[in-house]
Amino acid sequence: MNRTTILTVEHLSCGYGKIQVIQDLSFQVKAGERLCVLGPNGCGKTTLLRALAGVIPWQGSVEADGLALGGMPPKQRAKKIALMSQFSQTAFDYTVYETVRMGRYAHRSKSLFPGETEADRDAVEEALRRTGVWELRDRPVTRLSGGQLQRVFLARTFAQEPQIILLDEPANHLDLRCQAELLESLREWTTDRNRCVVGVFHDISLALAFADTALLLEEGKALACGPVEELDEKLLDRLYGMEVRQYMKRMHERWI
Amino acid sequence: MKTGVKMGLLSLTAFLALLAGIGVGSVQVPPGDILSIVMERMFAIPLPDHIPASYSAMVLDMRLPRVLLAFLTGAALAVCGGVMQSLLQNPLASPFGLGVSAGAGLGAAFVIVLGVTSAGLGIFLMPAVSLIFALGTVFLVLFLSAKLDRGMSNVTVILVGMVISLFCNAVISLLATSSPAHAQRIQLWQLGSFSMREWSAVWALLPVTILISLYFLRYAEELDVMTFGEEQAQAMGVDLRKVKGRLMTAVAVLVGTAVAFVGIIGFVDLIVPHMARRFFGAAHRRLIPACALLGGTFLVLCDLAARTLTPPHEIPIGSITALLGAPFFLYLFFAGRRGR
Repeated sequence: MNRTTILTVEHLSCGYGKIQVIQDLSFQVKAGERLCVLGPNGCGKTTLLRALAGVIPWQGSVEADGLALGGMPPKQRAKKIALMSQFSQTAFDYTVYETVRMGRYAHRSKSLFPGETEADRDAVEEALRRTGVWELRDRPVTRLSGGQLQRVFLARTFAQEPQIILLDEPANHLDLRCQAELLESLREWTTDRNRCVVGVFHDISLALAFADTALLLEEGKALACGPVEELDEKLLDRLYGMEVRQYMKRMHERWI
Repeated sequence: MKTGVKMGLLSLTAFLALLAGIGVGSVQVPPGDILSIVMERMFAIPLPDHIPASYSAMVLDMRLPRVLLAFLTGAALAVCGGVMQSLLQNPLASPFGLGVSAGAGLGAAFVIVLGVTSAGLGIFLMPAVSLIFALGTVFLVLFLSAKLDRGMSNVTVILVGMVISLFCNAVISLLATSSPAHAQRIQLWQLGSFSMREWSAVWALLPVTILISLYFLRYAEELDVMTFGEEQAQAMGVDLRKVKGRLMTAVAVLVGTAVAFVGIIGFVDLIVPHMARRFFGAAHRRLIPACALLGGTFLVLCDLAARTLTPPHEIPIGSITALLGAPFFLYLFFAGRRGR
C-alpha cells in the first residue's frame, strides 16, 4: 500500500539556548500512522514535540502535508499540527464547552467580536461526542476528575481539526479504563482521512500496543525508526540500558 | 439567568451606586435633584425652583467628578487585574506585580521631595511624572525578563517585577527618611485618594479606560486560551510573545494612568475579577465588561464609605477597599468551596 507522507522531518536540530537537545534528526510519518517516540528520560522526546508544535525555535526542515512549517504564521500552523501536552490546567471556571471551543482559535477570523460559525459549532459538537464528554458540556472544568479532564483536552485537540496530533504522555495519571478509552479515541481518529499521530510514552508496553511505528531516540539522535513488529530488541536494550524483554516478562508474569 | 439580564442588573446597580455616591454626604441631595442638575447642565433644561444654586455647584464641581473618577479607577484596576490574572495564569496575580505601583510611587516621591513645580503642567505635574515612572518601570521589567528568558515565562516576569518593585520601594523609603518633612505626604499618596476631584482627571482617564478595555476585548479569545498554559496556547496558534507584550504594555498604560491620579489603591484588582467570574463565568468576552462595571461600582461605594463613616475625617480609600474586600473575598472563597 502506498500511503501519502503527512509529516516529513529533515535534519531537525533544536534545544534551549546553547544546549542542543535534538541533533540532525530525520523521519517521516505516513497517513494513518501512529508513531511512538521511545527513549530514556532526557533523550529529547518532549523537546522534539515542543519544536514540532512551534513552542521552541528549531533549525532544519519540517513539512506537514507538503507545506513547510518554518516561518508559517502560528494560526496556520495550528490548523496542521496540534499538541496535547502532559499538564494542561486552569484555575478558572470555564465550562467544558467553552474549553473545547478554544480549540477553534486557529480557525477564527480576526475581528472584535468573532462569531461562532456553523463549522465551529459542528467541529466542537463532534469533538465532544467523539470523546464522550457531550453530557458534561456545561460543567466547569475545575470540577472534573483527571480522566474526564484529559478527555476534554483531547476533545479540544480534535476541535482544532489538525492533520497531525502530537501527544506528550497522554495516558499519565489515568486509570486503566481511561487510558484504554483515550487511546481508542485516538486510534479511531487516525483512521479517518489523512491524519497521523506522534506520541511520546514512558510506558513501552502501552506505546507498542498503541503505535504501529516506533522512533528510538538516543541523546537527541535517531537510533532506529520503523514498524513496531520489526523493532530490534537489542537496540531497545541498548537504549534503556537493561534487558527489556526479561523485565517485561517478569512484570507481566501474573497475567499470563 | 441570561448573561444579558445579569449585565443589565449590574448596569442598574452601577447607576444606583453613582447616584448614592453623588447624593450622600454632609448635604444630602435626592436622586431626582441630581438628575435635574445634570439635565440642566447637559441639555439646558431649567432647574426646578426648590433646588438651590449651591447644590448645583456642589454636585457638578465636587461630587460628580469625584464619583466618576472613583468609578473609572475601579473599572481600570479591575479590568487590568482580570487580564493580569489570565496572562500570568495566577488567580493571585496583580498589575502591581509588574512594578506599576512602585514605579509610580517613586515618581511621586521624587516630585514631593524635590518640590518640583511646573507652570505648564500645574496639578498635572505629579500624575505626569508618576505615569512616566510607572511605564518606565514596567518596560524595564519586561525588557529584563525578555533578556533573561526569550519566552518571557511567567515565573521570570513575576520575579523580575518583584525585584524591581522592592528596589523602587527601597528608594522611596530612603527618600522619605532623608526628608522627614515630606514623609507623611509620600505615605498618604501611597494609600490613594480621590480628593483631587478635578474634571480634568476624569477627562484624562475616561478615554484611556474605554480604549484599553476595548483593546483587551479584542484579545478575549487569546486570553481564554492562555489561561490554560503558554505552551498549549502557542501550539493552538497564539503568537505568544507578541500578544503578551502588547497586553502587558496596555495594562501598564491603563494602571499607570489611574494610579498617577489617585495613588495606589489595592484589592480592587485582586477581588473584583473573582467576583465577576463567579457571576459571569471565566470567558473574557463577558469577564472584561463585568469587571469594568463591578470594579467601578465597588470603588464608588468604597469611596462613599471613606467619606461618610468618620466625618469630617476621610479614611484612606486603600484601607476601605481592604477592610471591605478581605472579608468579602474570604466569604466568596469559602462559599465557593462549600458548593464543591
